[in-house]
Amino acid sequence: MSKRMNKITAVMSLTFIAVFGSITMFSHKLPDSFSEDRELAVLPCIDAEGLYSGSVTAELGSYVADHFAGRHLWVAAKTALQTELSESIVNGVYISDDRMLYVESSQRSSEEVMDDAAAVNSFSVKYDGTVYFAAIPTSAGVYGDVLPSHMIINSEKQQINDLYDALGNDIRKIDAYDILKMMKDNYIFYRNDTKWTCYGAYCVYKTVVQKLGFQPTLYDKFSIEHVTDRFRGNLYNKTLSKRTKADILDIYRYKDAADDVVCECIGNDGKVSKGTVFDRSRLGTSNMYSMYLGEAAPVMKIKTSVNNEKKLLVIKDSYADCFVPFLMQHYSEIAVVSPEKLDRPLTEELDINEYGQTLFLFGIEDLSSRSDLTKIIERN
Amino acid sequence: MVYSSLLFIYGFLPISLLLFYLTPKRFRELTLLVLSMVFCGMISLYFLVFMLVYTAVNYGFAHMISKVRKNDKLVAVPLACGITFDLVTILVFRTQYFTWLQGIIKVPEGFYPVGISFFTLAAIGTLIDIYKGRVKADGNIVRFALYMMFFPRLIMGPLLRYGVFTKALDNRNECLAETGKGMGIFAKGLVKKVIAADGLFKLYCAVQAVNLSEMSAMTAWLGVTAYVLCLYYTLSGVADMGMGIAYFFGFRFPQSFNYPLLSIRIKYFAARWQSQVIQWLRRYVTKPIYNVCSKRWMKEAVFVFGWTIFGFWYTVGINGTLWGFLIGLAVVIEGRLLRNKPLNITGCIYTFLVVIFCTVFLAGNGTEYSVRYLFAMIGGNGSFADSQSFYLLKSYIVMLLVSMYAATDLFRNMMLRTGRKKVKAFVNAVTPLIVVLALAVCTALMSYDGSSDMILLKL
Repeated sequence: MSKRMNKITAVMSLTFIAVFGSITMFSHKLPDSFSEDRELAVLPCIDAEGLYSGSVTAELGSYVADHFAGRHLWVAAKTALQTELSESIVNGVYISDDRMLYVESSQRSSEEVMDDAAAVNSFSVKYDGTVYFAAIPTSAGVYGDVLPSHMIINSEKQQINDLYDALGNDIRKIDAYDILKMMKDNYIFYRNDTKWTCYGAYCVYKTVVQKLGFQPTLYDKFSIEHVTDRFRGNLYNKTLSKRTKADILDIYRYKDAADDVVCECIGNDGKVSKGTVFDRSRLGTSNMYSMYLGEAAPVMKIKTSVNNEKKLLVIKDSYADCFVPFLMQHYSEIAVVSPEKLDRPLTEELDINEYGQTLFLFGIEDLSSRSDLTKIIERN
Repeated sequence: MVYSSLLFIYGFLPISLLLFYLTPKRFRELTLLVLSMVFCGMISLYFLVFMLVYTAVNYGFAHMISKVRKNDKLVAVPLACGITFDLVTILVFRTQYFTWLQGIIKVPEGFYPVGISFFTLAAIGTLIDIYKGRVKADGNIVRFALYMMFFPRLIMGPLLRYGVFTKALDNRNECLAETGKGMGIFAKGLVKKVIAADGLFKLYCAVQAVNLSEMSAMTAWLGVTAYVLCLYYTLSGVADMGMGIAYFFGFRFPQSFNYPLLSIRIKYFAARWQSQVIQWLRRYVTKPIYNVCSKRWMKEAVFVFGWTIFGFWYTVGINGTLWGFLIGLAVVIEGRLLRNKPLNITGCIYTFLVVIFCTVFLAGNGTEYSVRYLFAMIGGNGSFADSQSFYLLKSYIVMLLVSMYAATDLFRNMMLRTGRKKVKAFVNAVTPLIVVLALAVCTALMSYDGSSDMILLKL
């Protein structure tokens, strides 16, 4: 190759490197990413121990990656490139035109949920009322048959069954899996998220509320409002792929419901603030789904004008956010506890025996990955 | 820190180039040493201390040997001590048997001295060369330390003799054109590593996840083909990146891999695969023995022995040893049976098949596993292809074919031999664009994690 072309190569590529390197170095650093809906790495502080083991460099590496100039464009390009080059699986997410599926949730062993089962069992021993448990599959559990067979090592049905077997006999288990599987031709799961839609939640609500001792409200008693059709959830956050259509967020309103609903959020410091069941201001944030019940609080008390003195305790993860509003027509008070946000014993927040029924509602993917559930209940 | 990371390409590399060209010419060797020390220190401070101590010890031995070289009996002591020290270092850090010793010298958890296989061999070679009088012990510790720690050759070689390295150091040609050339080589290495090796590694992992007793023949073939190609692209990709970086600083290093995989004879494969290490083994291990052997079969036995050591050097375990032994044996058998040059295409296919069969032993986690894997490859599990193998084939067929083509020397030969000036001019003209495009594509692929640090073999 001629010398001149070599020089051009050097100038062009070094300019490319210098431009992106210096923009990355000198640009204004944001604390979190909107498109990925997560906190970005912070500049590591240099200490002797970190230098000694080399962890400072690893942190610096992820800092550079997180704040790299035009990161969201690069990641979107990566997704597009990788689906062309090899399998359609990027960062653990299977991408197709119809929907995205989180592959790794089908690859966990059932062993991982056993700690959580033990925690629920010890909760129910100390608790006077009735405990109900609903484990919700992810979209990969319901639509997993489009995945290549070798990717499903342990189906979510199996994981849920193993979990239910490990729960004590006095705990009432709710089979959400088969209901959802039966309804799979409907819009029961988001295309860009692992979670169920409001309609999926409604299908399960009909069974749950019967077990809790009520008549379910019929579908045509609700007025349904499409709040947005631009929702992209946690699977989009992982891949930034816009190949799959955006999702619709719905609000189901019970026509005959009493208007005065009071929400109180109780923080970890015991401070009480006002909450809302549908917080439309959250639609402008990176996590649109948090419109349901607003920004997650450790404990949220919903008091309704239903006049039956019945109280329900819901211990849940984000799957329950769109589910809880359906229960509001049946109870005078619902306490919603998010274990992942709680950092002190539950008993300091409320007296669990004030509530006659307790419903555990978790997505199977959120059990096991963190042992938040274990944390609270052991402190009781 | 690996070369294929955003931190290196967009942080360390431009800053070190800037510093290097800002320093006056006579201090540039020192600048390179400081940069190499920073590179080692960024891997971890412990690694830097380790390298400094290791270099100092070898420097001491080198001088001791050169002092008592005239005395035939006395010189054996520092030589033997030095070589033992180097060999023990390899064994301590590459095997599981010395965790107690690692505890005594306070090794941080998960510590692995990157490139230990290369710099220990380099140290041993230097000691022997000084003993034989081929090179003089260098009084300049900066040069010796740079020889051990020079960051473009730290991770994957090339394994240069001390004499060759100092010659390269003296004949540096620091100019923009060389940087451009280096950028081309670096981009080639980056593409090999980030696109080819990482993609093929995913295929290999997908096959590894299958239960071996249910694996169909086609899946097994896909898995081992992916492993062979992935191994080649990882090793040669990282080596190319190092070579390209060396060009930035005006060094011209020889290449380690000369399109070995689809050679037309196993003999050529054996000569082209990681040739710097093979040459080292020939110079310091097998050649002295060759001189004693008179019969042909003895020479062949020594050849097989040399390859067995090479295989052992790869994994420091039974897998690699068996792999090296089989390749060596295949070369010997080929030499006996195959007199005439085979047709290109048949030669390619048969070499590739032999290499694949041998590599099953390198890839597996134990001999029994490898034998069962071979069994699966000939359809011993009762199925030749299932839905999974078709899925994998469909997903990776383009990647496999393109990477196989790129593993041959067809394109290079076409460029060398073509008489048409227009073709050459066109390829020349688009090269800068292709280099920048390759950088951009690899940056995109690395953007999510920030690096591509899969290394199939820890060398």
